[in-house]
Amino acid sequence: MSRIAAAVVVCDDGLLVPPEATPLVVEIDGHYVWSLTPLRDGRPVSGGVRVPWPDALLPHLGGRGRVRITDAAGAAVLYDDEVRLGSGDGALAVVDRSGHRLSVDKVGHLARSFSATDASVRDEILAGTRRAIDDLSEHAGVAAYLNYGALLGAVREGRMLAHDSDTDLCYLSAHTSPADIVLESYRITRALRSRGWRVLRMSGGDVKLLLPLSDGRVCHIDVFAAFHVGGTFFQLGNRSGDLPRESIVPFSTVTLHGHEFPAPRDPEAMLAFLYGPRWRTPDPSFRYADPPAGVRRLDGWLRGFRTEMGRWTELHTGPRRRAVPRGPSGFATWVAPQLGSLPVADLGTGTGRDALWFASSGRRVTALDFSRGSLAVVRRRARRCGVAVDVDQLILGELRSTLLQGARLARDPHHLHARHLVGCLDAAALDQLWLLARMALRPGGGRLFLEFAAGDPTPSDGLVRRTPVDAVRRAIEASGGVVEHLTTGPGEDMFDLPDPAVCRIRAAWPIPKETS
Amino acid sequence: MTTTDLARRVRDRIREREPLRERVRQLETEVQENRQLNRRIAELTDVVTELLIPLEARDQDRVDEVLARFRAGL
Repeated sequence: MSRIAAAVVVCDDGLLVPPEATPLVVEIDGHYVWSLTPLRDGRPVSGGVRVPWPDALLPHLGGRGRVRITDAAGAAVLYDDEVRLGSGDGALAVVDRSGHRLSVDKVGHLARSFSATDASVRDEILAGTRRAIDDLSEHAGVAAYLNYGALLGAVREGRMLAHDSDTDLCYLSAHTSPADIVLESYRITRALRSRGWRVLRMSGGDVKLLLPLSDGRVCHIDVFAAFHVGGTFFQLGNRSGDLPRESIVPFSTVTLHGHEFPAPRDPEAMLAFLYGPRWRTPDPSFRYADPPAGVRRLDGWLRGFRTEMGRWTELHTGPRRRAVPRGPSGFATWVAPQLGSLPVADLGTGTGRDALWFASSGRRVTALDFSRGSLAVVRRRARRCGVAVDVDQLILGELRSTLLQGARLARDPHHLHARHLVGCLDAAALDQLWLLARMALRPGGGRLFLEFAAGDPTPSDGLVRRTPVDAVRRAIEASGGVVEHLTTGPGEDMFDLPDPAVCRIRAAWPIPKETS
Repeated sequence: MTTTDLARRVRDRIREREPLRERVRQLETEVQENRQLNRRIAELTDVVTELLIPLEARDQDRVDEVLARFRAGL
């Protein structure tokens, strides 16, 4: 049965819908794009509940097209009409650059859901997931089980959920100390890399395996640690609560589209743990309600080194990158005459504007950044410009990364150039910058050249925050450095827009004199 | 007791607890700092266990190989 309700309004600001506690499904141009629960996601206003569009959809909401809003089962139609959103006159459609349909997943990101995936590609995903389980078992020594949406789909519907977009695996660690769980995850990463997987580390306890598909897309297979600490069960993403080992091992088996997978011994108990007692009722707008104490523990134990990585990658892969000038910064032109013959490592290279400029005069240059988006941009630009730049990842905040780059630069002395890096780092990452400088510069006599926005940080600071000059000077000196030059005055921010207070520092790390 | 007295007493009680709230906030921050040591310990242990054996053997070729492999496996 269908009904058209006059109470629903679709506009640029979002939706005005009836004040209901059950999920609604939004389609644009005949394709699923988003699911919401009005009373949870919106605020009451005259005439109903106003639910804003999710941020991820906003860039796609310009043009004319058909919007349809139904209940979760698609039986009751609340709205079905042509609309014009934004200022565009083109067709309203939520698609990627290749035209693939996208929808908002349960953590608010745009992803391609299984409802928009061909059966043959779905088989590739399931076969890849099976291969990941086998590699984890045979080469990493951990037994993984299917979990989250794929498990829910298998148990409740006997197929992949239409609105799901990836597969998730978990392994139950035998360890009960978070440090051991992180170490185990490091070993797993090495084992999977040696099996040819591309692996992205998301925290100390979870990684993403990148599975290339024949339609050009890359599917993410999440590999999450699960473990017990002090009687509480933790499972990454962010889950925590009561679930005994006996509910998970020994495994049972589920079948998805002809592929067999290991599953928790008691799949229903796992699904109730994940999705609550009403897990048998479909709710595409489901959101986790994780205990805050558990999230705090997981954040403290396992996270912290990539808090802003996503925002930087967004900048480097999106239109805002074009606002960063291509030519050298004023700072780089100030640094260049002081370099002598040593090569330069550009820390936090960003778009690589300075690294490429240093390299264009024949100088050996290493461009380092924590964002893979940045590294891809620099590699591409270096290739196009025909200049040689050694591009590599440096994650200040992950000590292994800092120590390795420090050891490498100690054996192959460089100057260090870091423009507007200081303001991007938290306290732990800043400490590692000074550690890196000490390791890299003591043996070869190179210098650290720093430029940063000076002053106290304010809530209006963006990705690059102000940093007090005295704090930087004290930290350099505490780590054995000597500030040779320090000026503060008008300068430019990362977009070369005027900034009234920019600090420039040149520092050295002399070898300490023998005291005995 | 008048309503005004009662209100004053409640206000005083709330004020008395302010330092306690601040102390809890500080303790939570300190606990979180300690939790963060888990990852630091794991990172150090990983580096040491992967590199110590070839270093102990003074096998430079092996050290180079392990360093390259370690970097690739981060």
